[in-house]
Amino acid sequence: MTRSVSHIYLLEVATGVGVEAELRDCIEEAQLIDWQTKWQPILIAAIKDLSRRGVARAQWPQSWHWDWRAKIAQMEGLIAFKGFSVICADVTQGLMRVDLNGLGRAPGQEGKPLVYVDYLEVAPWNRMDMGQTPRYKGVGTALLSAAVALSVEEDFRGRIGLHSLPQADRFYRDRCNMIDLGPDSGVQGLRYFEMTPEQARIFLKEEDEV
Amino acid sequence: MPKRTMTLNLTDAEMGALERLSVRKDLTKTAVIRQALRLYQTVDSRIEKGEKLLFENDATKEKAELMLL
Repeated sequence: MTRSVSHIYLLEVATGVGVEAELRDCIEEAQLIDWQTKWQPILIAAIKDLSRRGVARAQWPQSWHWDWRAKIAQMEGLIAFKGFSVICADVTQGLMRVDLNGLGRAPGQEGKPLVYVDYLEVAPWNRMDMGQTPRYKGVGTALLSAAVALSVEEDFRGRIGLHSLPQADRFYRDRCNMIDLGPDSGVQGLRYFEMTPEQARIFLKEEDEV
Repeated sequence: MPKRTMTLNLTDAEMGALERLSVRKDLTKTAVIRQALRLYQTVDSRIEKGEKLLFENDATKEKAELMLL
């Protein structure tokens, strides 16, 4: 299998400087080891702390229970699924799994194919909701740009769709300008967001200019 | 991703169906075939694992199982 690596820039918050990173169209064992040995201990410690302080479960990092090893095993050999990762300073900074069997729901896009973002997660040290200044900014946007670019490459004209965890609703609605189609009772009441071809064109243009 | 080429021989009816899907789905004919292959492989893999493919009528809630032979 040929792997593709693109060079991207993330903002290192402490220095305010752009640093080079890699966007890969795969999730390999090294990324899963990073998730297990670098992400998980931080997430588990944070959950323990939140629990000890009696913080409501709704305010916990909502992807804390995601098992990336299982998610990657599920897509083994299936051509409809693809994984992406962002690596900076030799450490995995973000992961995404997409499904190419998705269909549009937004007005005018019903039934048209799109790249459905199954899971997207950034490393705990890059998250705003972990009560600290993120180390790198731009990881989530880079992964979402990869989903849009894949959609263009697959002739889906940039359409993407996803169900958002509540903590990320604002990011998809305000930062990515996706259409908010409201809560989906079929997917735990999570809000469903979609990007049309026109929105995708604007999104990619803006990302190119950053 | 590098791609390989093959010739696909279709009957008039099959080509007609492909062209109509291409228009409805806003895809090239090649993209329709690639999409069909992804979907077929996904469904086949799940059926191999013992799952069933069901269609549900949203209005009547009537369910029908699709058999893949």
